[in-house]
Amino acid sequence: MNASLRISVSSLRAHKRRFAGTFLAVLLGVAFLAGTLVMGDTLRASFDTMFGNATSGTDAVVRSADTITTPGESQGVRRPVDTGLVKRIEDTPGVAAAVPNIEGAGQLIGADGDPIGGAGPPTLAGNWIDDPKLNPYQLAEGRAPSKSGEVVVNRGTAERGDLKIGDTTTLRTPDPVKVTIVGLATFGGEDGMAQVTFTGMTQADAEKYLTAKPGEAAAIQVRAGPGTSQQELVDALTPVLPKGIEAITGQESAAENTDMISGQFLSLFTTFLLVFSGVALLVATFSIHNTFAIVVAQRTRENALLRALGASRRQVTVSTLVEASAVAVVASAAGLAGGIGIAAGLQALFPAIGFPFPDGDLVISGLSMLLPLVVGVVVCLGSALLPAVRAGRTTPLAALRETAVDQSGASRTRAAVGGGLGALAIAVTLTGVFVSPSLWLAGSGALLALAAFVVLGPVASTTAVRALGSPLDRLRGVTGGLARRNALRSPKRTAATASALMIGVAVVSLFTVFGASLKATMDQTVSRSFAGDVAVSTPSFGAGGSGLSPRLAGAIAERPEVDTAVGLGRGVAEVDGKGRALTVTDPAALERTFDLGTVQGSMRDLGSDGIAITENEADKQGLKTGDKTQLTFTDGKKETFTVRVLYGQSELAGEYVITREAWAPHRTQDSDTLVAVSFKDGVSAADGKAAVEKVAAAYGNPEVQTRDEYAQSSAGGIDMMLTLVYALLALAVLIALLGIANTLTLAIHERTRELGLLRAVGQTRAQLRAMVRWESVLVAAFGTVGGLVLGGFLGWVLVKASDGASDSAFAFSLPPAQLALVALVGVAAGALAGLRPARRAARLDVLRAIATE
Amino acid sequence: MTATTTTTTRTAARVVDAVKVYGSGDTSVRALDGVSVDFPAGRFTAIMGPSGSGKSTLMHCAAGLDTLTSGTAHIGDTELGTLDDRRLTLMRRDRVGFVFQAYNLVPTLTVVENITLPLDLAGDTGDKEWIDALIDVVGLRGRLHHRPSELSGGQQQRVAVARAFAGRPDVVFADEPTGNLDSRSGEEVLGLLGRTVRQTARTVVMVTHDPVAAAHADEVVFLADGRLVDRMTSPTADKVLDRMKAFEVPS
Repeated sequence: MNASLRISVSSLRAHKRRFAGTFLAVLLGVAFLAGTLVMGDTLRASFDTMFGNATSGTDAVVRSADTITTPGESQGVRRPVDTGLVKRIEDTPGVAAAVPNIEGAGQLIGADGDPIGGAGPPTLAGNWIDDPKLNPYQLAEGRAPSKSGEVVVNRGTAERGDLKIGDTTTLRTPDPVKVTIVGLATFGGEDGMAQVTFTGMTQADAEKYLTAKPGEAAAIQVRAGPGTSQQELVDALTPVLPKGIEAITGQESAAENTDMISGQFLSLFTTFLLVFSGVALLVATFSIHNTFAIVVAQRTRENALLRALGASRRQVTVSTLVEASAVAVVASAAGLAGGIGIAAGLQALFPAIGFPFPDGDLVISGLSMLLPLVVGVVVCLGSALLPAVRAGRTTPLAALRETAVDQSGASRTRAAVGGGLGALAIAVTLTGVFVSPSLWLAGSGALLALAAFVVLGPVASTTAVRALGSPLDRLRGVTGGLARRNALRSPKRTAATASALMIGVAVVSLFTVFGASLKATMDQTVSRSFAGDVAVSTPSFGAGGSGLSPRLAGAIAERPEVDTAVGLGRGVAEVDGKGRALTVTDPAALERTFDLGTVQGSMRDLGSDGIAITENEADKQGLKTGDKTQLTFTDGKKETFTVRVLYGQSELAGEYVITREAWAPHRTQDSDTLVAVSFKDGVSAADGKAAVEKVAAAYGNPEVQTRDEYAQSSAGGIDMMLTLVYALLALAVLIALLGIANTLTLAIHERTRELGLLRAVGQTRAQLRAMVRWESVLVAAFGTVGGLVLGGFLGWVLVKASDGASDSAFAFSLPPAQLALVALVGVAAGALAGLRPARRAARLDVLRAIATE
Repeated sequence: MTATTTTTTRTAARVVDAVKVYGSGDTSVRALDGVSVDFPAGRFTAIMGPSGSGKSTLMHCAAGLDTLTSGTAHIGDTELGTLDDRRLTLMRRDRVGFVFQAYNLVPTLTVVENITLPLDLAGDTGDKEWIDALIDVVGLRGRLHHRPSELSGGQQQRVAVARAFAGRPDVVFADEPTGNLDSRSGEEVLGLLGRTVRQTARTVVMVTHDPVAAAHADEVVFLADGRLVDRMTSPTADKVLDRMKAFEVPS
């Protein structure tokens, strides 16, 4: 044991450079992982503190008990409470104060005329609560609104929109309201609740613009008198509240809010990052395994000598593993430190880019210390295990043979196993896609396909490199030929090196293909079901944005150029006990501007008690035209509707359609998500668009887009996601390239004598460098092509499986330009990875190289 | 062809006052200590001397693989000291051939590709007939598409000889070409070198410590302690052996 340790230490010291790549791969992967964990914890803790501070004055919250949650929405719609309750609550013993909290969507227009926010986090408006203990926002500058049209906005929002106290701007509620900023507020001591924008108005304004009718509030916030605990307050309130209204403690309410942010947004965010650090570590595994395999092969003689001198198998294996653990521990520790550094850096960076990262120390939990360390060590040791066992198996006789470089590759067993895996992968995938559509089956198939690719790598590498390199002979002469043959030397090694890049490229292509398919799907949706000429919408994403004024469609329809203008509003109700999204619109006009497929019944006949449903939904619920179904609205009222129309296409129009008249009695803050406009015959597109834009300008200036522009902007969020994904995958690709560079460096070390000979017989340094670079390019090209094929396949599986598993149709699209770009980047990166090894190889001293044993 | 077959007393390579010092200060070693020697064109010259006499250093410097500390080395009329790395490489490629002790073939290339490697590196098709003739001289016609690993040591060294002559260099340097071979294969390789010199008027400079090998040369130059100590024309193994024995008794 002692001897093994000594051998490991001295060998590590002698070959530091060989492990530089391994060290970096582990370090980067671990740093990413640790950074994600620490940042997640820190954000979570900061939000907790911020919410705690902001809402500490609220001892109880009174609100309606029921929510209606539609599929795909995380947060339900809660029915409003009657502000008349405030009086009754105030009279309850133990209550010091009670105020209604009116809340709705309201998007401010910045000084430059563009709306502020809307790309994700909510844009909120509400009544400014004068009781500073009950108001989560604190007035930082200026004063509270005292008359109609005056507002307080949170400081972060004001800065983003370049607005100052005294400025007048527009608030879309969605009806444009002219407002004057009289004060700036902070939330829990910060400039805002992350990127959420808040505009506080007078109570009268809030009731007027944010609720369907005065006397409604989202909730009532209650403060306890001295000596009354939060629980006592809730217990006192509960008996006086009507049925369907509940009281919860302020702590519970704060916990719910934090949970909403950290439980949903933050978990999603950290999970997302963790997946990518997983990909990076997977790629690292391949690089590390490869390095150890090569080092062990190169050390065959040395190990054989040890065995001949009496070292046991175990001693040789252990000494290799000790080396691996030393690298693993040091690299993981460095990675952990790096990760904490990254988190600290982001904490400092976020406020600089306008994202208020709450103050507070970095939260470094035991888990975020331990997990990255353990993962780093396990990845490194796991990768080194097989090579170490192989090292132990070295026979003493190998010491006498010529240095054996591992040239095994395409064994028959490997081809058979790989082929079997591949066949199984295809079978499982096709079953998951076509026979019984299931994302799980398709996903398992995809994993099997990945395994098949990795196993088959060495089998394919010979043929693939030969094919990919065939132009090299002609183009680059003997230099290219030598590069190609060098890449072919050890198929297993070439494949393992390329596998790392393959996985990275596969994930990149998977997202590229999936993103392009989503875009194609949207494009198809719009072109198939949107029959209008222009669309008016507010570009928004997630919970942001305020939508469009419901009066906009009417105003546009009055223009002489316009034939039909129909606004699509959104409502929610329970149909048959389940939350559903309703499309609230003028059904007759809807039919004219949207292609609804085959329509049974007449949209004109819906009236105030009729509903139109897609055939698909109707089938699921067993409804036919003429059947009656009960709808429960957010105000708690139940009404019976008659199914009057069944239609085929749900895209854009939604699954359930009711008229505005039917919706009006139960409405909340009204807004349209889209106004579709078709022009009269003979009106040019430009004239029509100009006319619509003129009207829209008076309604908070939403965007007026042609059909193509609308389709493109619907897909805008996808590009944003893709950019983020690419940025995150860059790390995995970087690790793969480090692997290629490392393998090449090791290979050059192995071929020192040969390189010396080439130089002696007249290979110029430039030719030698080119030879090494081209080898690198070939290996990278092999990995890139493999990755493109695998990623394309996985993308296809994902799209098809989503198509099969959901009701809406998914289009599959292979974006040739983007994929070509991915290929180009992969190959260029290969050339880059070859730079350093090539330079090192060219620096070889000819004489010494020839003399090297 | 005719121009090169006429016998002249032109020198193919020479060194003048060659000094080579390795290291510096107390640990410095004077491997060459003012050697001047020329290797006439069209001749087979052997460099002999005991271990550490500087014979390999002399060859490396004369061939442009290593640089002199002082003095000059010439290939034909070109002074090597004036060339940068690139020109030196091109000079080696176009005008010098090498045969090393450990064959030093490129394992990924076939026999014929190894032979034409210097030409291929120059982007030159070379003289087809000459290479064809070379292949016959070295007797590898039947193995042209084999890889080096499929050949015996003697065969590999014959490939190396053919490669050295492929570009019709001014001079071929051979560093202990028989050091790794059994006596029969060694004899073949030496015979091959001698025949090539005589039949095609090539120049060979060979470093060896084996008197039997040296006997194949037209002339032997003796080195001891970094100095040229003797020259011997028409050597035989016995004469060379006797001369070498003299070194062992410090003079």
